[in-house]
Amino acid sequence: MIIQNLKPILFFIPLAVIQLVIIPLISISNIAPNLVFILITYFTLKHGQVYGTILGFILGLLLDIISGGLIGAFMFSFTLSAFVVGYFYGENKMDINISSYFFLFILFICGSINSFLYAVVSNSNSNVSLFFMLLEEGILPGLYTTLFGLPIVIFHPKEGI
Amino acid sequence: MRKFLRRIVSIYKEYLLLIVLSVISLTILAQNEKPAAKHLKTFALGNFAVLNEITNSIISIFKNDESRDELRNENAHLMLELNRLRKYKAENEELTSLITFKDTSIYPFVPAKIISKLVTKSQGNFIINRGSDNEIKKGMPVVNDKGLVGLIMDVTENYSVVQTLNNSNLSVAITLQRINVDGILSYDGNNLIIKDIPTTYEVQIGDIIETSDFSSLFPPSIPIGIVSKKESNVLGLLHNLTVEPFAKIAAANNLFIIKIVPSKQINQLEMNLMK
Repeated sequence: MIIQNLKPILFFIPLAVIQLVIIPLISISNIAPNLVFILITYFTLKHGQVYGTILGFILGLLLDIISGGLIGAFMFSFTLSAFVVGYFYGENKMDINISSYFFLFILFICGSINSFLYAVVSNSNSNVSLFFMLLEEGILPGLYTTLFGLPIVIFHPKEGI
Repeated sequence: MRKFLRRIVSIYKEYLLLIVLSVISLTILAQNEKPAAKHLKTFALGNFAVLNEITNSIISIFKNDESRDELRNENAHLMLELNRLRKYKAENEELTSLITFKDTSIYPFVPAKIISKLVTKSQGNFIINRGSDNEIKKGMPVVNDKGLVGLIMDVTENYSVVQTLNNSNLSVAITLQRINVDGILSYDGNNLIIKDIPTTYEVQIGDIIETSDFSSLFPPSIPIGIVSKKESNVLGLLHNLTVEPFAKIAAANNLFIIKIVPSKQINQLEMNLMK
């Protein structure tokens, strides 16, 4: 039980380092994938909505304080989007959700929601249009994040699909 | 009653959890500038940045060159000097000799390396490998060899957080160098924008933007960028200018902190306005 709860934290540390050091090198006009959110999506689909929501909250807090950004922004967006990911959870559908391309669909939808929510709470410029925010700060980062979820679909062991 | 409440909690536990956690997140978000949040951030940043620095040094192991830092330092000094000379050319010599023009090139520079970046559309932040041990203080301006990059926002012993120009929370008092018109530069999530410049001023594409004499956050005459686009509003009375920054902020790697201690009282006021 303890290992199950510690696992995401252990994965989080290297992923956060990659997120802050390597990902900026491959960002395209400030649009970057969010590796920590892929981790949250994966564990939410494995352990359910309540687990995912709490995990999103904790990892969001950790990412906020180590990135030097606004404390609470990732926390809020991860919590809400992990909650949405939780709707796709099903004990019998776990394999289909994670090992098939449906995982990428979940990642795209929820990754876009996550990026959009982050933009809403962190952008203090009131003149930015909602459409611009949804497209450039929601869908595009969501799409980029989806691309990085591809290795999970390819390399995750498939059981009985 | 208790049974009923227990039933409600068990049925709607996911929603209740979501509401509680969301409220906590938003409360913390609103308390960002409180000392407790600052301490937490400083503590975590100081410890985790070590990992980032190690990773960063592994990545840059093949491109690390000591002499390059010295050259960049000299280049940054020359950049400020060049801009100062441009200003002299643009202004009347007689008037220039009458005003007390602050010479930015005399301030000492502290070279710093970016060890991690937070890349989002609205929150551009860097963590650099210089902190209070190097006498870095909150509010010091950060430049690279091309121009202004941002401002020191948080300082730990060995690391600091730089709020870049690509951050919607940072607004900079600027001057259009050629026509000597002041304005406020801010980031809209996509571009650096100067709003509400009267159309009576003859702003041209390519005009140089620099920090204003009125800013107490930044020393005057630090080059920022050039006007790349101008748009009139509906009535045609005001311009919104889009600025192309000299410093390629997303690609920045080596920075210089200008060791200037700004006026404490005014600086405190301006920093409070940014919260």
